[in-house]
Amino acid sequence: MDLVTVKGLSKRYGGIVALSEATFSARAGEVHALLGENGAGKSTFIQILSGAVKHDGGSILVDGTDYRPANPDAAQALGIAAVFQELSLIPDLSVEQNIWFRHEPRTLLRTVNRGEMRRKTLALLEKYDFPALRPDQELRRLTLAERQIVEIAKGLAKDPRILILDEATSALPAREAEWLLKLTRQLAAEGRLVIFISHRMAEVRAIADRLTIFRNGSTVAAHEANAVSDNEIVTQMIGRHLDRLYPERVATATDCIALRVKNFSSGSRLSQVDFALREGEVLGVGGLQGHGQRELFQALFGASKASGSIELWGKPTLINNPRQALTGKDGIALVPEDRRGQGLLLTKSVRENLTLSVIKRFTENGLLSRQKEAALVKEMVDFLRIKAGTSEQLAGTLSGGNQQKVIFGKMLLTQARVLLLYDPTRGVDVGTKGEIFQLMRDLAAKGYAILFHSSDMPELVHVADRVMVMRNGGIAAALEGDHISEEGILRAAMLETRVA
Amino acid sequence: MSAFLARNRLIVLAYAGMVVLLLVTALFSPGFLSVSNMRSTVVLAAFVGIVALGQTFVIIGGGIDLSVPWVLNSAAIIMALLCGGQDLPLVWVMPLLLAGGAFIGLINGVGVAQFGVPPIIMTLATNVILQGLILVLTGGSPTPSAPALIQFLSVGRIGGFPVIALIWLALTLVATLLLSKAAFGRHLYALGTSATVAEFSGVPTARTTILTYVISGLTAAFAGMLLTGYSGQAYLGMGDAYLFTSIAAVAIGGASILGGSGHYLGTVAGAMVLTILTGLLPALNLSSGALLIVYGAVILLTVSIGSETFAGLGGRLRRKES
Repeated sequence: MDLVTVKGLSKRYGGIVALSEATFSARAGEVHALLGENGAGKSTFIQILSGAVKHDGGSILVDGTDYRPANPDAAQALGIAAVFQELSLIPDLSVEQNIWFRHEPRTLLRTVNRGEMRRKTLALLEKYDFPALRPDQELRRLTLAERQIVEIAKGLAKDPRILILDEATSALPAREAEWLLKLTRQLAAEGRLVIFISHRMAEVRAIADRLTIFRNGSTVAAHEANAVSDNEIVTQMIGRHLDRLYPERVATATDCIALRVKNFSSGSRLSQVDFALREGEVLGVGGLQGHGQRELFQALFGASKASGSIELWGKPTLINNPRQALTGKDGIALVPEDRRGQGLLLTKSVRENLTLSVIKRFTENGLLSRQKEAALVKEMVDFLRIKAGTSEQLAGTLSGGNQQKVIFGKMLLTQARVLLLYDPTRGVDVGTKGEIFQLMRDLAAKGYAILFHSSDMPELVHVADRVMVMRNGGIAAALEGDHISEEGILRAAMLETRVA
Repeated sequence: MSAFLARNRLIVLAYAGMVVLLLVTALFSPGFLSVSNMRSTVVLAAFVGIVALGQTFVIIGGGIDLSVPWVLNSAAIIMALLCGGQDLPLVWVMPLLLAGGAFIGLINGVGVAQFGVPPIIMTLATNVILQGLILVLTGGSPTPSAPALIQFLSVGRIGGFPVIALIWLALTLVATLLLSKAAFGRHLYALGTSATVAEFSGVPTARTTILTYVISGLTAAFAGMLLTGYSGQAYLGMGDAYLFTSIAAVAIGGASILGGSGHYLGTVAGAMVLTILTGLLPALNLSSGALLIVYGAVILLTVSIGSETFAGLGGRLRRKES
C-alpha cells in the first residue's frame, strides 16, 4: 500500500495558481524524485507536505488517514520532516544545538541535557556516516556546504518516516553529494520514504526508484525510474524538446592573455597559485570542495585580501576591493556563490539591481538619467531574456533562473571582459542552465575570458575549454582536451601525484 | 502614478496621517488652522526636520546617529560663546561649526565603516564625549545671547514666510536630489538593503557610510545654531529632545529602521506629525507627560505598520521561490 497518496491537490496565491489538481503517490522504502522546472509547483507541493503551507483543495492521505497538518511541528509529529534549500539554521549556535533546536534532550529540571545531546549527536552522525562535522563547531564558521549537511542532520534528528530533501545536493561538492546519495539509499532501506528534488539528472538516475514530473502546477507523469529515458523526462519537464543542455564547444580562445595570476595567495586556503586565462577561453576550476576555489574567486575580485600579482590584459593591476575590480573595460566581474546574500538586493527592483554597478553610465552632470538607465535595463532584459513582469518587479519575486540572469546582467553592464562565475547554475532550472551555458560560449566568442567554477562536475567537463583542478589551495593539474573527464578531475583532486 | 503610490505607500500614509491629525486638532482647537498658528507649527517642525535630515540618510544606510543631541548642543553653545551676541563673527563661526559638525560625523562614520564599531556604540560614545567637553568648557555657566542675524534666520520672515521654512524647503530639495537623482542615493539604498551585496556590486560602501554621518553632523550643528536663534540663547540640554524626535520623524515618515528604504519627503511629514501632536495635546488639556506617552505609542504604531508590510513582502518572496 502507498504511504502517501495525493489527489487533486491545489493551491492558489491570490491570482497565481501554484498547484492545480496535482497527484502523487509513493511507497515506504523508496526514493522518490520530484522533477520539474523552477515554478513547476514542486516547492509548493513539498511545503504543503511539510506543513509550512496549507492546501486549498484536494486530499492527502498518509497511511490511509487524512493529512492536513497545522504547521511544520504537527507534520513532524506525524513523522514528516523536510530539509529545505533555504537554510533554517542559527549562525550563533553550535552544530548540535542547531540539530536539536527546540527538541533538546532535557534533564529532570527541564534544562538542556548537554551530555545526552552530545551523545545523541555523535550517535546520529556515526549512524549515517556524516562527513567531518564536529558537534561543538559554531555554525557561522561553516561553509555553505557544511551548513547544508547540518540541515540534513537536523531533519534526520526527527527520525521521520518521510524525509523530504529540497535540492539538498545543489550546495554540496561532489564527494559530499555522493555521500548524500548513499544516505538516501540507506534511509530507504530502513523503510523510510525519501522524497527528493534535484535538478541533476545523474543523481536522480543514481538513486530514484520512482519519479514524478511536475509542470505548471500539475503532475505530468509518474514513472518507474528505470522505465524512462533522460530525453523523455526532460521533454515532459519542459513540455518541448530541449536540443541539448550543453552547447557545442567551439574553440574561441586567442593567444592574448586576459588574466595572468602569479604567486597568488590568500589566507590559509589559497597558496601560490599561477595561471593564465586567455581571451575567448572558458577555464574551468574544479576539485573537491574547500580546496581554495572560493578563496581564489573572492580574492581575484578583491572581496578578500590577497598577495601576489594580477595582470589584466597585460597590465599589472591592483585589486583591493570589488569596486576596483569592476572599474572599466579592463575590469573583472564576479557572479558570486550566494545569489541571495551576495548577488541580489531582493527587496529592490530588477532595474535597480541591474544598474547598481554602473550608475556612472547614466549620470549626466551629477544627475541620473532615467531614460539612459531604461535603455541599459532594456538592453540586458532583452539580451538575457529576463522574464519579469516589468523592470520594476522586485528581484526577490523572480524565479531562481531569472534572479541569476539579473546578476549576470549587472556584471555584463560593467563591461568588464574577465568574468568569474562561481557555480552560476546552482539551483537553476534545466532550461535556464542551458541558456547560461550558451551565454558563456557566446561571450567567449565575443572575446570575454571566463573563469568558471561548478560544484557539478559534468558541467565543467562539458562546458570548459580547460579545467584547473585545485587541491590544498594550489593547482594540482590543468586538464585539456580529451583529458577533461570526471575521472581525470577526481584523480587530480584526490591523488597526491601530479597528473598531466 | 499608481505604481508610485504603491512603491511609496508608507510615505503617502505619513502625509495622510498628517492631514487627519491636522483636522482632528482643528476640531478640538478651532484656532489651530489659523495662518499664524500654522506658521509657528512649521517653524517648530523645521528644527525637527533639519536634524532628521541627516538622521534619514544615516538610517536609510542601515545605521543610526545617537550623537545628534550634543552635536546640536555643542554647536549652539560654542556659537553663542564665540559670537558674544555680535553678528560679524558669524562669518567665520558658522562655517567653523558646520565643519565641526561634519568632523564629528566623520569620526562617527570612520568608526563605523572602517573600524566596524556598531553605530549605536560609536555615536553614543561621541555624544557623551561631546557632552563632557561642553560641560568642561562652560563650567555650567550661561552663555551670551544669540546674535541678531541668527535670530532672523530662525524667527524672521520674508514676504510672510518664515525664513527657516524657506531654509527647510531648500534643504528638502537638496536631500530629494541626493536621494532620488544622484548616484549617492542609489548607493545608499543598496548599502542599507544589504551591505554585502552593495560591496559585491562595486558600491563604495565605506565612503557612502561615512558621508551619511557627515551629513548628519552637518544638519545637527546647523539646527543647533538656528535653535539658539529661536530661543534667544544657548543652554545645556537643548538638544536632548531631538534624539527621539529625529529618529521618530524618520520612522513615521515610512523608512525601515533597519535601512534600505524611506525618503526625506516622508521624514518631512514625520516632523510635521510630531509637531502637530505637541499642539494637539494642550488643546485636549493633556500634560507634557502625556505627550511623551503619545510619542512612544505613535512610534510603535508606525513601525509595526512598516514591519507588517515588510513581513508581507517576505511572504511574497518565499512563495515565488517555488
